[in-house]
Amino acid sequence: MISKTIVASLPHGRISEVMRRRTIILGAAAMLLVLVGGATTPGFLTLDNLLIVIRAASITGIVALGMSYITISGNLFALSAEELAVLSACVFAWLMRSHYDLATGLVLTLLFAGCAGGIQGAIVARGADPIITTLAFGALFRGLASLVSNNKNILLETDAAQWLGTGRPLGIPTQSWAFAILTIAAWFVLQRTRFGRRLLLTGANRHAAAATGLQVGQASLVALTLLGLCCGIAGISAASQFGLAVANLFTGLNIDVIAAVLVGGISLRGGLGTPVQAALGAILIALLENYMLLHSFTSGQRMLVVGCLVAAATLGFHVIQRRHA
Amino acid sequence: MINGKTILSMLGIEKRYGSVTALQGVDFSLRQGEVMALLGENGAGKSTLVKLLAGLERPDSGTVAIDGQPVRFRSPHQSLHAGIAYASQELSTIGALSVAENICLGGDSKSPIWTTRKLRDRVKPYLEAVGLRDIDSRTPVDQLSVAQRQLVEIARLLSRNARILILDEPTAALSDVEIEKVKDVVKALAREGRSIIYVTHRLGEVFELADRVTILRNGQSFEPIDVEHLDIDVLIERLLGRRLEQMFPTRGASPNEVVLEIENLLAPGLTTPTSLKLRKGEILGLAGHLGSGANAIIRAVAGVAPQYSGTIHLSGDAFSPRSVHDAMNRGIAYCSDDRKRDGIFAVRRIAENLSAPAIDRVTVGGLISARRETELAGRLAAFFDIDGGRLDSQAGKLSGGNQQKVALGKWLGIEPSVLLVEEPTRGVDIGARAEIYRHLRTLADHGLAIMFASFDNQEILGLSDTVATFFRGRLVRVAPSDRVKPEALLRDVTHPEAPSVGDVA
Repeated sequence: MISKTIVASLPHGRISEVMRRRTIILGAAAMLLVLVGGATTPGFLTLDNLLIVIRAASITGIVALGMSYITISGNLFALSAEELAVLSACVFAWLMRSHYDLATGLVLTLLFAGCAGGIQGAIVARGADPIITTLAFGALFRGLASLVSNNKNILLETDAAQWLGTGRPLGIPTQSWAFAILTIAAWFVLQRTRFGRRLLLTGANRHAAAATGLQVGQASLVALTLLGLCCGIAGISAASQFGLAVANLFTGLNIDVIAAVLVGGISLRGGLGTPVQAALGAILIALLENYMLLHSFTSGQRMLVVGCLVAAATLGFHVIQRRHA
Repeated sequence: MINGKTILSMLGIEKRYGSVTALQGVDFSLRQGEVMALLGENGAGKSTLVKLLAGLERPDSGTVAIDGQPVRFRSPHQSLHAGIAYASQELSTIGALSVAENICLGGDSKSPIWTTRKLRDRVKPYLEAVGLRDIDSRTPVDQLSVAQRQLVEIARLLSRNARILILDEPTAALSDVEIEKVKDVVKALAREGRSIIYVTHRLGEVFELADRVTILRNGQSFEPIDVEHLDIDVLIERLLGRRLEQMFPTRGASPNEVVLEIENLLAPGLTTPTSLKLRKGEILGLAGHLGSGANAIIRAVAGVAPQYSGTIHLSGDAFSPRSVHDAMNRGIAYCSDDRKRDGIFAVRRIAENLSAPAIDRVTVGGLISARRETELAGRLAAFFDIDGGRLDSQAGKLSGGNQQKVALGKWLGIEPSVLLVEEPTRGVDIGARAEIYRHLRTLADHGLAIMFASFDNQEILGLSDTVATFFRGRLVRVAPSDRVKPEALLRDVTHPEAPSVGDVA
C-alpha cells in the first residue's frame, strides 16, 4: 500500500520509471516462460538445452544490441543485419581457410563488417531513408555471400577458431560472455558518454538536435557502424561454432532481432530505451523459439507466433504511449 | 452588389480548449454576395471561428444557421456539403500533382475513371474564374508561383460549388503584384453572388476589398461595420482594446556598447537591404506579420538562412554564420518559433534538455559528469523558475509555458552574448508569459543582448527597449519603444502607406 502511494506521488513521465517498469515486465515474462516451459516440456530445463538457448539468445542478443542503437537514434531498423552476419561468416571462413592466423582473421572480418555498416551509415547520414538503404544493402550482402561461397559450404579447415564458437569458460558459452560484456558496454556508452547522449537526443528530436548544434548525421553513421561490428561478431561466432559458413546461415535473424527490440519496448520514434531492453527481448524471443522447437513447431508456425508477438508488442506500447500522451 | 439576404448566422458561439477560452459569445453573420473581413490580433479567435465553420472544430455552445436552418458540422465534409469551402493559412496544394488533379482532389466525382482530357474540361471553368485560363491544367503545381498556387486553391474551393468561401490570410506570403491578382479574383467572385469571409492582418486590404468588417478581440465579437462608414481610428481602437500594462517588467538602465551590427543585410524574406544595431543589455523587438521580414533578420543572424549580401559584425568582428553550430560557437543562441519541432526534446528528461547545448561543458574525457550536469540544470532551472524536483521528468509532460522556459533556458548554459527568439510566448498562457518577460528582462539587465520577433504587438511594446517594424520584407521604422504609440505600431505592420494619424510622438 505504501509503495503504491509513493509511485502515485511520483511526477508523471519519469523516464527511468517508465523504462524500469518495462524492464521488470520483460524479466517477469522471461521467468514465466522458463517456468511454464519447464513444467510442460520435457528436456526444456536441462543444462544442455539451457546452454543452447543461451547461446542462441546471445547471437540474437548481440545483433539486437546494435539494432537498439539504430532504433534509439531515430532510424527505425536496419534490414541488412542478417545478411551482413552471413557475409561476415563467409569472409571469416574464407580468411581462415586461406591460412591467415586467427588474430588477422578476426581483425579483418571485424574491419570488413564495420566498414560495411559504416557505408550504409554514411548514406543514411546524408538523409537517405534507413529502411530502403539497408534493404538494398541487405540484398547486396546476400548476393555477395552467395557469390563468395558459390552456394556451398566454406569449411574453415582449421580448428584454431573452434574455441570461439564452442568454448565454455566457467561453464558459460563464449558468445554469452560476449553478449553480457557488450550489453554492459552498450548500456554504459548510451547512458554515460557524450556520444551516447548525442545519439539519444538526435533520436528524440532530429530538428532540435540540429538546432542545438549537434552533428545529426554522426548518430546514424556510428550506430550503423556499431551494428556492422555486432553482425561481424555474430558471423565469426557462428562460423567458428559450425566450422563452416554457408549462405543460408542466420535465416530469420532480422525478424528475431527486430522482435527483440520491439518486445523490449524501445520506442520506434527514437530517443527512448536502453540496450538492456533489447537484450532482455532477445532472451525472451530465444526462449520462445526454443520452446516451440521442442514442441516441434514448423518454421512457419514459429514465424507466425513471433509475428503475432511483435504485432502485440507494437500495439501494446502504442496504446500505453497514447494513454500517457 | 449586396442584396442584403443573410445566408449565414452564428449566435452566442463559445469554444474552450482546456482552460483557455478561445471564443466567448461570438456573433457573426454573412450576407449573400458580400466580402466580410474578419480582423483581430493574434489569439483573438479568428482561426477558431473559421475552423468551426469549416467543420474542423465543434463549438461548445451557440447556434449556427444557414438560410435560417440550424446546422451542426461534425466534419469538413458536412461543412462542404452545406456549401462552405475553406482555404487554410498554409497552402495545401500538392506539388507533385497537376493543377487539374489538385482542383479535383477530394471532390465528389460521378465517374470512377478520369482521363486527362476529362479533368481538363472539368476544371476549365474554375481556372477561368480565378484568372488562370492561360495555365495548362496538366502543369505540376510545384512549377507555379505562390500566388498561382493560392489561386489554384481558390479554384478548388469553387469546384466544390461553394456559396461561402473562407480565405484565411490568402495574401500573407505574396508579393504586391500577386496580391492584386488574388484581390481581383475575390472581387469577381463576390460579384457572382458568392459570399466571402476574408481573414487578414492587412488593414489596407480591408478598405479595398471588404463590404463589412467583423472585429474579434480576446474571443469576443463586435457588431459588423460597413466599410463605407469605417473610421480607421475606431478600427484600430477596437482591435487593440485595453492593455495589460502590469504584465511587463520595468525597463532596464540605458544600454551601452553595440554587440551586433547588421548593415545592408539581404536574406531570404527581405526585399530591401536592412541595417540594425543591437546593444549590450538591450531588448530589440522586431514587429511584423507573416512575410514581413522580421523573422528573416533573426534567421540570417542565427545561421539558419543564408545571407545574400551585407555585413554582420559581432562585437566588432565580421561574422557570417554558415550554420547554427557556427553561430552558437560565436555566442549566439537561437530559439525558433516552433518549439515542438526544434525547441525541446519532448521524450527526454528536463535536465538533459537544459544541458543539451552546453553538453561539452558537462563532459569530462568523453563521459558526462552527472554532478556537473545536475549542477548546470539545477542552476538554469532555478533561474527560470522550473521546478527543480522535476528535472528527471520528460520535458514533453510540462505545460506550454514551462516547455518554453526549458527551450529558452537551455541556451544560458553556453553563456551567449546574443539571444535570438522568435515568438517568445507562442502557446504560452498569460501567467507564464509575464514570468518569461520578467526572466528575459533580468537577462538583459545582466548584459545579454536580446533580439526577438513577434506578431503580438502588445508583447513588442511591453517587452522591448527598441522597436523595429517590418512590412512585406522591408524595415519600416526603428524607434525607442516608449516613443511608439500602439496605433502607430499597428499601422506600421498592417498598412504603413496609410496617411499618418497617430505617428511617433
